[in-house]
Amino acid sequence: MAFLLEGFIKAIELLIGGDNSTWSAVSATVQASTGSMLVSLLTGLPCGFILGYFDFRFKRPIRTILDTLLALPTVCVGLIVYAFISSKGPLGEMELLFTLAGIAVGQTILAFPVVTAITASIIENIDPALKLTLVSLGAGKKNIILTCLWEVRFGILVAAVTAYGRVLTEVGISMIVGGNIKYHTRTMTTAIALETNKGMFADGIALGIVLIMIAFTVNLSLSFLRKR
Amino acid sequence: MTSPASLYTLCRICHYYGNQKVLDIEEFSIPAGSILGLSGPNGSGKSTLLKLLAFAVAPSRGEIHFGGRREFPMSARVRSRVTLMTQTPYLLKRSVLENVVYGLKIRKENQKLKQRAAQAMAAVGLDFDKFHNRAWHQLSGGEAQRVALAARLILEPRALLLDEPVASVDEQSARLIRRAALAARDKWGCTLIVVSHDLAWLNAFSDIRVSMEKGRIFSTHKEIILPPPYRAEKTAGTERWFLPVSGNRHISLPAKTGETALIPADKINIVRDAEDASNEKNKIPILITRMALEPKTGGIEIDVDTNAFRLTLLLSKEQAGALNLQPGKKTTMVFSTRDIFWR
Repeated sequence: MAFLLEGFIKAIELLIGGDNSTWSAVSATVQASTGSMLVSLLTGLPCGFILGYFDFRFKRPIRTILDTLLALPTVCVGLIVYAFISSKGPLGEMELLFTLAGIAVGQTILAFPVVTAITASIIENIDPALKLTLVSLGAGKKNIILTCLWEVRFGILVAAVTAYGRVLTEVGISMIVGGNIKYHTRTMTTAIALETNKGMFADGIALGIVLIMIAFTVNLSLSFLRKR
Repeated sequence: MTSPASLYTLCRICHYYGNQKVLDIEEFSIPAGSILGLSGPNGSGKSTLLKLLAFAVAPSRGEIHFGGRREFPMSARVRSRVTLMTQTPYLLKRSVLENVVYGLKIRKENQKLKQRAAQAMAAVGLDFDKFHNRAWHQLSGGEAQRVALAARLILEPRALLLDEPVASVDEQSARLIRRAALAARDKWGCTLIVVSHDLAWLNAFSDIRVSMEKGRIFSTHKEIILPPPYRAEKTAGTERWFLPVSGNRHISLPAKTGETALIPADKINIVRDAEDASNEKNKIPILITRMALEPKTGGIEIDVDTNAFRLTLLLSKEQAGALNLQPGKKTTMVFSTRDIFWR
């Protein structure tokens, strides 16, 4: 158990001491996850609303596919994105392989179904009295959509946090698409995997603690927003 | 098709949920500035009718004219003129002030919001300073109901539809809601359409009283509904219809030609002694459950229980006095089968 304690102490030393490789991994993780979350929220929220609010043909099959994608293995996403953006792939010219943008693309594919499926479920479960109330207060279609989204804002925060948790903790995409290049595409999860493989438990634990602290900070901020 | 004094005219309205017909109204008008009281058993179509009148739902068939013009759900003209308050109103997850001014904001009427909110809240007996900052979850049931009413009154609608506005509130809230709704009628001629199971409250409140049964509208006090289930018995090749009342008593009905059996109110007699009406076929024991002064006519409204169903009769003061009626008294109601008709 001594190595756990050693890990804690080392984590504090690495963070306070401004260790370059640690902060580079933190920065890469935050950049890739922020980019992927922005894109998946901007696309997933409207898609989730449409899926939850309107009735249309093929709605059920789409929901089934989305629900299946919630359990999408990250290595599979990594593999597919790799196939598309590698030099021989159809998007090879975009030169996304072994870049943070490439990781963000893969993570967006991972987060999009989470945001969409949870938003759709939340919208489906909106109290039917809400729409009747809005109509009876004179709301038009645009106001109904915006007010409905605002009314379920706490549920949408849950969707965002769940998706962020999945993105923040994935290894497969970052490893395959990013290549785990030090000071460039090495994220905290790939760094932890590498350090553990090398037998450097303390470094791995230190990075793990940082990862947990980021997740905790995000949740704390959302909790604060919720209380307001 | 529509008389100028009618705010609403319904023409050949049918509404279905799936294959089930829930509304069937041939023609019905509601005068502008009136207070229409609507009662009827659960599932009779009252709330569905309110949703149609609020233009929240389009009827499956038929036309609704508002202010002389055919209107449809989401039409900009009616959206700003008709508002509905449901039985358990939904408050937005915002402060009381934000709830009250929501309708004004979406109409982009952003002037003097606080002042107008204070007036609307005062109309329903809510102190602006005390309540405007409260969150939606910090209100009692009666307060929430009054906030919902204030959010509608601030819009100064031409028609205010209230679905069971006092069903789940205390006496004081019920009185404040009634006062605020009446003030809306007096101040800007708002037409009020109110659904309630509280017949005494409804009678005291409304100018026009109608009942609903199986999606149809009947005029209360003029026609009495003899509610289903009806039974048929075949003897010697003829079909005899009747309405079971209690034990082996029943009301004999004429041959069935419609869905609901009715009888003109003035054809029902209450007698001191069942022997007084030995020629009448239908002699039904009743229990007087409530008596109240009907302020519009000065008559005495009497709720009676037949053991199978309840109905409300309107007698003159003289009739009620002569029969020495009082709540709790058991007596007999008599009427002839030939006066019963189907619709």
